[in-house]
Amino acid sequence: MGLFETAAAKALASSGVFLFMTVLLIAAAKRISTCIALFSVQSLVITAQIIAVSRMHHSAEGFVIAAMVLTVKVVAIPYVLYRIVEELKAPRDVSSSTSSSQSVFIAAGLILLSFFAVRPYVGVLGGDQAMLAAAVALVLTGGFLMVSRKKALMQVVGLLVLDNGIFLAALTTTFGMPLVIEIGIVFDLLMGVFLMGLFVFRIRDTFDHLDVSKLRRLRG
Amino acid sequence: MTQIVFNSFLLAMLTVPVVTLVSQRWRKAHAIPAVVLMGSLAVGIAAAAEGFWRGQRFTVDVSQVASFPFALGVDRLSAFFLLLICSVSLPVILFSSSYVTRHYAGARRHWLWVLLPLFLMSMVLVVTASTAFAFLFGWELMTLFSAGLILIDGDSEQRRHNIFVYLLMMHAGAAAVIGAFLLFLPHAGNFAQMRASATSMPPSLRTAVFLLAFVGFGTKAGIVPLHLWLPRAHPIAPSPVSALMSGVMLKTAIYGFVRFAFDFLGGGPSWWGYLVLLAGGVSGLLGVLYAISEHDLKRLLAYHSVENIGIIYLGLGAALVFLANHAPLWAALALTAALLHCLNHAIFKSLLFLGAGAISDAAHTLDLEDLGGLQKRMPLTGVVFLIACCSIVGLPLFSGFVSEWLTFRSFLAASELTNLSAAIVLPLAAGVLALIGGLAAACFAKVYGVAFLGRPRSLEAGIANEVSLPMQAGMGALATACVVIGVFPSLVLRGLGTLTEELIPGAALPQAAASLSGVLPWIALFFLVLVVGIAAFNRAKKLTATWACGLPGLDERMQYTSTAFSKPLRRVFSQVYKADRTLEVVPGDPPYFPTSISYRSVRTTSFEKFLYRPGVDAIVAAALRLRQLQTGNIQIYLLYIFAALIALLMFMRFV
Amino acid sequence: MKLLINAVQVLLLLLLAPLVRGVIARLKARIQNRRGASVWRPYTDLLKLFRKEDLVPDSASFVFRLAPIVLFAATLVVAAFVPLLHGSALLDATGDFVLLVYLLALGRFFLMLGAMDGGSSFGGMGASREALVSTLAEAPFLLALVSAAIAARTGSIAGMVQWTLGQDFFQFSAVHALAFAALALVAIAETGRIPVDNPTTHLELTMIHEAMVLEYSGPSLALIEWASAIKLTVVMALLIALFVPWGMAGSISALAIAVASIVLLLKMAALVLALALVESSVAKLRMYLVPDFLGVASALAILAVVFTALMR
Repeated sequence: MGLFETAAAKALASSGVFLFMTVLLIAAAKRISTCIALFSVQSLVITAQIIAVSRMHHSAEGFVIAAMVLTVKVVAIPYVLYRIVEELKAPRDVSSSTSSSQSVFIAAGLILLSFFAVRPYVGVLGGDQAMLAAAVALVLTGGFLMVSRKKALMQVVGLLVLDNGIFLAALTTTFGMPLVIEIGIVFDLLMGVFLMGLFVFRIRDTFDHLDVSKLRRLRG
Repeated sequence: MTQIVFNSFLLAMLTVPVVTLVSQRWRKAHAIPAVVLMGSLAVGIAAAAEGFWRGQRFTVDVSQVASFPFALGVDRLSAFFLLLICSVSLPVILFSSSYVTRHYAGARRHWLWVLLPLFLMSMVLVVTASTAFAFLFGWELMTLFSAGLILIDGDSEQRRHNIFVYLLMMHAGAAAVIGAFLLFLPHAGNFAQMRASATSMPPSLRTAVFLLAFVGFGTKAGIVPLHLWLPRAHPIAPSPVSALMSGVMLKTAIYGFVRFAFDFLGGGPSWWGYLVLLAGGVSGLLGVLYAISEHDLKRLLAYHSVENIGIIYLGLGAALVFLANHAPLWAALALTAALLHCLNHAIFKSLLFLGAGAISDAAHTLDLEDLGGLQKRMPLTGVVFLIACCSIVGLPLFSGFVSEWLTFRSFLAASELTNLSAAIVLPLAAGVLALIGGLAAACFAKVYGVAFLGRPRSLEAGIANEVSLPMQAGMGALATACVVIGVFPSLVLRGLGTLTEELIPGAALPQAAASLSGVLPWIALFFLVLVVGIAAFNRAKKLTATWACGLPGLDERMQYTSTAFSKPLRRVFSQVYKADRTLEVVPGDPPYFPTSISYRSVRTTSFEKFLYRPGVDAIVAAALRLRQLQTGNIQIYLLYIFAALIALLMFMRFV
Repeated sequence: MKLLINAVQVLLLLLLAPLVRGVIARLKARIQNRRGASVWRPYTDLLKLFRKEDLVPDSASFVFRLAPIVLFAATLVVAAFVPLLHGSALLDATGDFVLLVYLLALGRFFLMLGAMDGGSSFGGMGASREALVSTLAEAPFLLALVSAAIAARTGSIAGMVQWTLGQDFFQFSAVHALAFAALALVAIAETGRIPVDNPTTHLELTMIHEAMVLEYSGPSLALIEWASAIKLTVVMALLIALFVPWGMAGSISALAIAVASIVLLLKMAALVLALALVESSVAKLRMYLVPDFLGVASALAILAVVFTALMR
C-alpha cells in the first residue's frame, strides 16, 4: 500500500509534464490519426490523475468517474473518430494554416502564458502550479487547434482537448465536480461526437470537401 | 621610463607622414614609410603591454600649452585597446608594405602612406584621451581619415554615394556622442571629473546619457538597425584599410561604450542590459543571415562584422544585467568575454580582410562565384584563411572559441539569480548565440569551400599565384595569434581579469575561466599527436580524377556555387530575405531547349525601405515646408528680426 | 586507478562503436523481414578499408586528406567527456558541454570542407544540406544541455551525471523530461539517422552524410565511418549518462565496475532497439521538413530552459 501511495503521489506530481508534451506534440502533428491518439493519451493521463486523487481522498465516486472517462474518452470516442477517418477515405492530413514548427512555437508560448496566468492563484485555489497551468494550457491549445486547423474533424478534436482542460481544472481545484454533472458532460460529449460523425458525411456529400474555412455562405 | 616609451611612440607616429612626404623623392625608398610606421607601432605595443599587464599609467597633458583641454591618460582599459590597435595594425602594415606597392602608384600611394598613420593616430587618440575634447577630436578625425582612405580607391558616382552615407551616419552618431558628453556639464572637462559627477546624477539624466551613448557608439559599432553604412563602406575600401576599419575602428566604439556604461555610469537598471542584449541578439542573427546570402567576399565579411559586434553586445548586455542584479562576479566574467571577443575579432577579421586582399591580388576578383581551387595555388594564404575561418566560427583550439565559451558560461550563471526574468532571458540568449554560431559555421564553410577548395571556376582563379613574402608574413603573424590565444588563453585572460576588477568594484575573475585553460592545451596536444601520427602512417595515395559516381564530362561549373550552397538556409529564413525574384526564359526552336535563361534574385533592404526612407522623406518634406520662410523679400526678413526683438522683450518682461 | 577506468571508458567507446552500428543494422534487417549482415560486418569493413590505399582527386588540396583525421580526432576527444561506467570521465572541466558541442561542430566543419574539396556536385550538395541540418540542430542541442546543467547546478557533464545519480528516479522532473525529448530529437539529427537522413541510401536525392563522403576511399573513408559510428555511440552514451545513469559504479571496485558494465550494455541494448524500431517505422523526412522537426526540438529545449526558472 505504501509503495502505491508514494508512486501515486509522485505520478501526480509529474503528470503535468506528460500533458505539456502531449500539447506540444498535438500542435506538431501532421495527421488526424496522430491527434486522435494524442487525445487518447491525454485522457489516459487524466484518468490516472483521477485515480490518484480519489485514492488520496478515499472517494468511491472518483473511481466511477475514472472508469467512465476511461471507457468514453480513452476508448470509445477515439475509436469512433478513427472509424470516421477511415470511412471518409479523404486525405488524412491536418490542413493547418500554420506550419508545423510555427504551431509548436505557438503552443510553447501558450504553455508559458498559462504559467504566468495561474501564478497569482496558486496559493488561493489549492492544487499545484503545474497541474493548473496544464489545465489552462489544454484549454488554450484546444482553442488554438479549432482556430488554425481547417478540417472539420479537427474542430472536434480541438473541442475534446478543450473539454479535457476544463475537466482537469475542475479536478485540480475542487477535486472533481458532482457525479451527476460529470456523467452528464461525458454523455453530452459522446452524443456530440456521434452527431459530428453523421454531419461530417453530410458536409462531405453536399460540398465535396471538409474544409471549414470554405464554409462561408451564411453571412450578411 | 615607460612614460618616455609612450611619448616616443606618439612622436614616432606623428613623424611618419613627414617621412612619407620627404621620401617620395627617392624611387627606391618606397619601403621607408612602412618600416618607420611598423617601428613606431612596435614601440606602441611595448608601451601598451606595460600598461595592460603591469598596470602602468601614462599621461600626456597639453592643456597647459594649448588653449583647449587636450590631454591623454592611459589606464588599464585604454592600454588594452591600445594594445589591440597596435598589435593588429602591425601585421596589417606589414601586409600593406607590399600590397600598396603592387596596387597603387604615384600620388595615390603617397596619400595612402600619409593617411594611414594619421588614421591610426586618430584611433590611438580616441582610446587614450582623458578629456572629452581630445576624445571627440580623435573621433571626428577617425571618420575623416577613413573616408579619405576610401576615396583613394576611386571616386565614381556609386562610391561617392556610399562614402556620403558613411559620413552622414558617422556624424549622426558623433552628434549623439557629443550629446552624451554634454550632459555631464559642467563637469565635462576631464574623465575623472565625469566619473565623480556621475554618482550624483539623477536617474533620468543617467538614462539619457546611457541612451545617447548607446545610439552614438552603436552607430559606429554597427548594430542593427544602425548598421547601414557598414556593408557600403567596408567593401569599397582598399583591403588593408578594410581590415583596419573592420578590425580596429569598430572596437573604438566598443571602447567608448564600455567607458560610458561601466566606467562613468557604473551600470544601471536591468532594462539597460536587456536593451543591449536585444540589440546584440538581433545584430548577431541578422548580420550572419545577410552574410550567408552574399557572394561578394568583402560585403560578406562586412556583414560578419555586424554579427560579431552583436556577439560582443550580448556579452556587454549580460554584464549590465548582472551588475543590476548585484552579481559583480558574473558581470566580470561577461565583460571579460566581451572584451576578449573584441581582441579576437580584431585579429581574425583583419586576417580575413587581408586574405581577401591577397585573393584579389592573385585572382583579380572577389566574387566567390568565380573563385575556387585557390588552396593548391596559394598554400600559405589558404592555410591562414582556414585558421581565420575556424576562429570566426568559434571552433575549439582557435581564439574565437574561448570568448564564445566565456559568454556561454556567463549566460549559464544567470540561473543562480533570484530575478526571474534574468534567469529566463539570459540562458535563452545562450540559444541565440548557439544559432548564430551555427549559421556562421555554415557561412564560412561556404566561403572557404567555394573560394579555396575544389576546382577553379574561372580562368583567373586557375592561374593565381601565391602572394609576396611581406603579405604572407603579415597574415601569418595574425594567424599565429589566433592559434596561440586559442590554445593558451590564460595569457590574455589574466590581464583581462585585473582589468575587469578595476572597472567593476567587488569583482574577481571566477574560477570557471581557469578550468578551460587547463583542458585546452591537452586537447591541442592530443590533436597534434593524432593528426601527425595518422598523416605519417597513411602516406600511400593515388591521384585520380574526381569520381562523382562515374559521371562523365565533369567540369568545374558543375560544382556547387556560393548561391547554391546557401539556398537551403535562405529558403528556411525566407521571411528575413523577402527576395525579389525574376526568371526570364528565352525559348529556342523546340521550346524545351531554351536559348537562354536568366535568373535574378535581389534581397530586399527592409531597413532602408521601412525605417530610413520614411524618416528621410519626412525630414525632406518638413524642410521643404520650412523653405517657405525663405521668401527672398528683404522686408519679410526685417519683419522676422523685429518679431524676434518683440518676443524677447515680452520674454524678459514675464520671466 | 580512476585514470585507468576513465581511459578504459574511452577505449570501450572507440572499440564498441562499430558493433553498435552492426547491431542496429541487423535489427533493422530482422524487423524488415530480411536476414541482414553479420553484426561484425562493420569491423571487417574497417579492416578492408584500412588495407587499401587512398584515391585522391587530382584537384584536391591537403584539406581533403586532413578532414577525416580532424573528424576522427574531434569525435574521440568528445568520447573522453562522457562518463560510462562511473560518474567521472577522462576530461572534466566546467562548461565542458559547450566544448563537446563545438568539438562535434569542428569535426563536421572539416567534413563539409573535405566534401567540397572533392570537386564534384555531390560534395557541395552534401555539405550544403549538412549545413542546413547542423545549423538548426545546434541551438536545441546547447539549450537542452544548458537546462540540464542549470537543473544540476553544475557546469560539467560528469558533474551533471553525479547530480542525477543522487536523485530519486521517480522524482520525474519536467525539465529533464523536456530536455530528454529535445536531445533525443537532436540526436537523430546529429547522427544522421532516419527520419532526418538515411545512412544507407544510394539515391543522391536522399543523401546528406553519404553525399559528403562520396569521393572518399581507403583509410580516409575508414576513419570517417569509424568516426560516425563513435559519434552515434557517444550520443547514445550521453543520453544514458545524463538521464538514466542509475547503475553506474559508485566506488572503484571490480564488482561495481562489472555490474556497471552489464547495466550499461542493457541500457545501450534498449536504446539500440528503440532506434531500430523508429528507423523501421518512420519514413525519412523531406529535407525542407527537417526544419519543422528541429523546430519541435527547439521548442522543447526552450521550454526546458524556461521551466528551470519557473519550477524552482
